[in-house]
Amino acid sequence: MAYNFSPDSEPTTRTLLRQVLDTAVPRTPRRARSTRSGAQRDLLETPSSRRQRSQTKMTARRRSHTATSVDRLARVQASGHLEEQTPRTLLKNIILTAPESSIVMPEAVVKLVPSPQVVQPSRRKSSRGSLELQLPELEPPTTLAPGLLAPGRRKQRLRLSEFQQGMDWGHLSQEPRENADASSLTSSLNLTFAMPLQPQSVKRPGLARRPPTRRVVDVGTFLQDLRDTSLTVAPPGESHRTPVATVPMDTVLEDTQPFSQPLAGHSPSVHHSLPCPSPSGAKEVEGAASRRTRSSGHGLQNSYSGPGKPAQLLARKMEEVEAIAMGLPNTSSVSGEDGIEPLQNGVGEEAEESMEESMSVREVEKAAEEQGSARAEEPEGHTEVAAAAGSLGAIEAKEPEGSSEDEDTSASPELPPSTPEFLRTRRLQFPEPAPPPSTAVLPSELPKHLSARIPPRPRIPGSRPRQDPYKAGLNHYAKLFSFYAKMPMEKKAEEMVEKCLDKYFQHLCNDLEVFAAHAGRKTVRPEDLELLLRRQGLVTDQVSLHVLVERHLPLEYRQLLIPCAFSGNSVFPSQ
Amino acid sequence: MALSTTVSQRKMIRRKAPRGFLKRIFKRQKPHLRLETSSDLLVHLNCLLFVHRLAEESRINACGSKCGVIKKEHVLAAAKVILKKSRG
Repeated sequence: MAYNFSPDSEPTTRTLLRQVLDTAVPRTPRRARSTRSGAQRDLLETPSSRRQRSQTKMTARRRSHTATSVDRLARVQASGHLEEQTPRTLLKNIILTAPESSIVMPEAVVKLVPSPQVVQPSRRKSSRGSLELQLPELEPPTTLAPGLLAPGRRKQRLRLSEFQQGMDWGHLSQEPRENADASSLTSSLNLTFAMPLQPQSVKRPGLARRPPTRRVVDVGTFLQDLRDTSLTVAPPGESHRTPVATVPMDTVLEDTQPFSQPLAGHSPSVHHSLPCPSPSGAKEVEGAASRRTRSSGHGLQNSYSGPGKPAQLLARKMEEVEAIAMGLPNTSSVSGEDGIEPLQNGVGEEAEESMEESMSVREVEKAAEEQGSARAEEPEGHTEVAAAAGSLGAIEAKEPEGSSEDEDTSASPELPPSTPEFLRTRRLQFPEPAPPPSTAVLPSELPKHLSARIPPRPRIPGSRPRQDPYKAGLNHYAKLFSFYAKMPMEKKAEEMVEKCLDKYFQHLCNDLEVFAAHAGRKTVRPEDLELLLRRQGLVTDQVSLHVLVERHLPLEYRQLLIPCAFSGNSVFPSQ
Repeated sequence: MALSTTVSQRKMIRRKAPRGFLKRIFKRQKPHLRLETSSDLLVHLNCLLFVHRLAEESRINACGSKCGVIKKEHVLAAAKVILKKSRG
């Protein structure tokens, strides 16, 4: 038969269906079992059922064009009828009507069939019975001979059950609990199967959820690639090389990474890399053995016993990797597919391998350092490792940085749960901006500088010193005005506010002078201020000064203003 | 609860009192007088309350004129009232 379909990226289901179609041309449905079982098994393996459906749809449509004898008609009719139904029905019809070459004997098929059935005996049996009833209702146009109907139904049942198993196989991972509650679920499943198959597809989101399983694997491999690339990104020279390198070369190049910067060029680093793996191989084995024997965390601790900082770096990085690896399973577990578990294990293994590689990198670093090539440039190597590993490494490598690094450390633990991409990007970014702002400029300080610089109104050069700080102070209160107003303001309004403030200050000083003079003093004291507030109506019998102080002033000022009793019969501020 | 503690606006509101600025102003106005340390903070408190009242009044004026933006005339009218009030 001619292959009407263009080969897709996912050959599995398509090829299977193709085979089914090709072989199905002049055969009876009986023999369709073998290929169908094989097809279903392949279907089981395929992660995405959607593709199956789409492919089945396409295959169904294309099958209509295939030139065959009797089955063609059947298929055309089936396809004509199929288009009205869901892809599931389409596929079922195809499977039913499409004869295939009996690669395997029917007995073997029977054996094969029960094997997957055993996995889900509870479900299947009930479903089979229900499916039996379904089939004649849903597929009236099947041109099976009436004599074949009886066995055909059984075979249909088997095929459909197999197909259902195939569907449920992927779905089983999502809902493992259903197996536990066999009775209730089977009954529910019976009900669901009693309905047209369409709701099944709706009820079985596993068909739609299969892609995530792939993502887990991809992420795992992607992690490794990221790690490799990140390790390679740190050294400027070899970034373009490492991604191209093959897997064994990656390990070698990773080893070269810490040397790349300490060493002058790539060639010496490469040369160093070659001999390095040999001595580090033993260490790798030891590290790997230690890691494998115990949990990843313990293994890390064991590996830490030797070196100091690099071990810590490794530890944290591996923790991060573990966190990533665990994060992936967590994310995958969210979808709730058991099928992901083996993938998770694979991911964990991959993570371990990556950790091993990183460990080997560190060990190789140590080896190189011991060799003395990187002794003088250990900090650089550390920086390299930091850049590769993350902000943690940067912190250790740049201890004098101080608080800024601490901020990075505090931020880094939060990062591992995030996607590894962000990890790499952020970690790579952190060491870079960390050194420049070592002073850790507080955000509160920035507006101060800005506001101090904002008012450039040097109308008269001589009086400029008065203008700028004066305007700066007024700006402070002008900003407070706009804040209190909670409404947008015009620039002219702000200027007006400044004028009002100016006037207000004048009034204030005059009043204070009067009050101080009234009290016979030349120093303005808080009592004068309290009197002023009282006269202004802000302080009343109900509202005391202390209340206002507590309301509007920050804690530090309040401590200075309101006398508070301390231990030892002391009051501050003293009255 | 102090209003300053609830500040969470977009822009950073400095809660520190510009004590040097206030002292400079007072010295410029009344050089023969001295200002005590604690009274400096109370002056700042007074300024805060004044600005607060002024802003409230301006906002009332702006809302009274069905305007979503505080304009100069709103502030001017508000200042007249509040300055009178703050005269002491």
